Amino acid sequence: MSGRRIRTLIWKEFTQLRRDPLLLRLLMIMPIVQLILFGYVVAADVRNLATAVVDLDRTATSRELVDAFRGSGYFTIVENPTSETALQPLLDTGVVKVGVVIPEGTQDRLLSGQVADIGIVVDGSDSQVSSVASGYATQIVARENLDRPARLGVSTVGPGIDARVRVVFNPTLDPINSMIPGLIAAILLISLSAIMSQAVVKERESGTLEQLFVTPIRPPEYIIGKVTPYAVLAIAQMTIIAAVGMLWFRVPFYGDVWVVGLGLGLFLLVCIGQGLLVSLMARTRAQAIQTTLFLMLPMIVLSGFIFPIASMPAVIQPLTYLIPLRYALDVLRASFIKGSGLADLALPLLALAGFAVVIFGSAVLATRRRITE
Amino acid sequence: MARRHPAESRGRHGRAESPVPDAAVCVRGLVKTFGDFTAVGGIDVDVPRGQVFGFLGPNGSGKTTTIRMLTGSVAPTAGHAWVLGEEVTAHPERVRSRIGYMSQKFSLFEDLTVAENLRFYASIHGLEREVFEQRRAWILRMAGLEGREDELTRNLSVGWRQRLALGTATIHSPELLFLDEPTSGVDPVARRRFWDLLYELAEQGITLFVTTHYMDEATHCNRLAFINAGTLIALGTPTELRDSFGPGATLEDVFVGLEEQSRREP
Repeated sequence: MSGRRIRTLIWKEFTQLRRDPLLLRLLMIMPIVQLILFGYVVAADVRNLATAVVDLDRTATSRELVDAFRGSGYFTIVENPTSETALQPLLDTGVVKVGVVIPEGTQDRLLSGQVADIGIVVDGSDSQVSSVASGYATQIVARENLDRPARLGVSTVGPGIDARVRVVFNPTLDPINSMIPGLIAAILLISLSAIMSQAVVKERESGTLEQLFVTPIRPPEYIIGKVTPYAVLAIAQMTIIAAVGMLWFRVPFYGDVWVVGLGLGLFLLVCIGQGLLVSLMARTRAQAIQTTLFLMLPMIVLSGFIFPIASMPAVIQPLTYLIPLRYALDVLRASFIKGSGLADLALPLLALAGFAVVIFGSAVLATRRRITE
Repeated sequence: MARRHPAESRGRHGRAESPVPDAAVCVRGLVKTFGDFTAVGGIDVDVPRGQVFGFLGPNGSGKTTTIRMLTGSVAPTAGHAWVLGEEVTAHPERVRSRIGYMSQKFSLFEDLTVAENLRFYASIHGLEREVFEQRRAWILRMAGLEGREDELTRNLSVGWRQRLALGTATIHSPELLFLDEPTSGVDPVARRRFWDLLYELAEQGITLFVTTHYMDEATHCNRLAFINAGTLIALGTPTELRDSFGPGATLEDVFVGLEEQSRREP
């Protein structure tokens, strides 16, 4: 191993990067765009759902119920059709996502001690919206059931059950608090495996790779020289996300910086190794891009970055153990939100270390073997 | 035949001294197979130092594979190759610091400037500053690139790229230079100029191992080897080869004739 040769390779790689200002700009803009996307769009709470109310009862009770919906902040009443049949086209065309139907005689039934049914119609084409909307609607009705007798001065029969859910670790239930720590790992995976996949195959196409290996450069020197500049860039990207996330989105950090650093360092090796492997196996740059895309989607979906693993089918769940991003997310989210330490995170960290050894190790071996043939 | 791995032979000591220790290249029974395909089927060649050695053969005959085994890029399936007295598979790094290699792709970093390409290879070979300055000045003059040091290599036209590639391949003053079809895709004027440069290198005592399928270039060589389908079918000086084929034969006749002959009796 020669320090001079490694430094020369790093210098060469940085000089080539500098000649590609578009790539550099993309690399620095990408985390910002992703932050905006995931910070404001994906993580946005479901609010101000367009709602139509069909009030056929037109009584004090029905108006109170409508006010409760309006006052919740989750529903914006944009239409007041006069019949249930007029509601259907509004849902069909997507003008409203939710319909509330209060049948005639609701107040009378309630006053005479009967159960009154009201209809909540939810557009199920967006499962996220529909599940959240029906949840909120159920809550509002339940609350109304508790409040109404009190307002009328009638005591309810028995104390009833009043569940008060207390959310630990993320009290505001702000999805951004788990989204941004996850984003740090996701960006690392996306950008590193994408750029690294091009790294070697580009040099093979141009013939310079063959040329380099007729000089005293050894394969480990080549890998270090190749990987270092991109690792530096990736660390810059992660720093941008973490800084913007904590300063702008006010994501709290309760964890240990060293534990997060260890987890990210191991995950960095996994991502670089994966990119290198793709680059070594691919014959052309186009092949490398296709392979990366092919790998990326299942990795992100199965990692639990966007969709919780617990809600995946039981058959699929074991597969998620094969996805390194899953463990990186565990480490980051637990560190940021729960302040978990080294001991709590030993398992995911060990898993990451295992992946790093296997994937990066096989990339190094593959470089030795495949570099010229 | 058992497959030898380079790591295995590196572990053995005192094995297989070169039968011709002072030869630039000495090859005995060299074989390379890729699966069922035999790229090189057991060749023996000696190249004395200081020669311009022409390695001729049709496309796909095993020329490039042979060069790759000699530069240590590809491990041979069987046989031995000594370059400058060192067994290549045993000490590839010892060999590589003493040889130069130029491929038909010219393999420059196109997004680096002329000066940066030179600096890169000089630094990789560990050249001292004064030596580098000297070599750099010589290469720029030789390639006709003085005053164009800061141009990106991708903007150079093919003749200049070819000469710059020759410069980067010889920046460390190698004793032996492998050239794999160095003149493909280059116009006749640039080709002539390139061969003038090769002669200049040969006069400095550098051994040249050149593959080509231009017959006029073959006549420039001291000795020639014809390879077809991985087998050596003729070896000698241009004159010997012409004479062996009858009066008035050109090298082109020899080349075509030998190729047809070896096809008829494989």
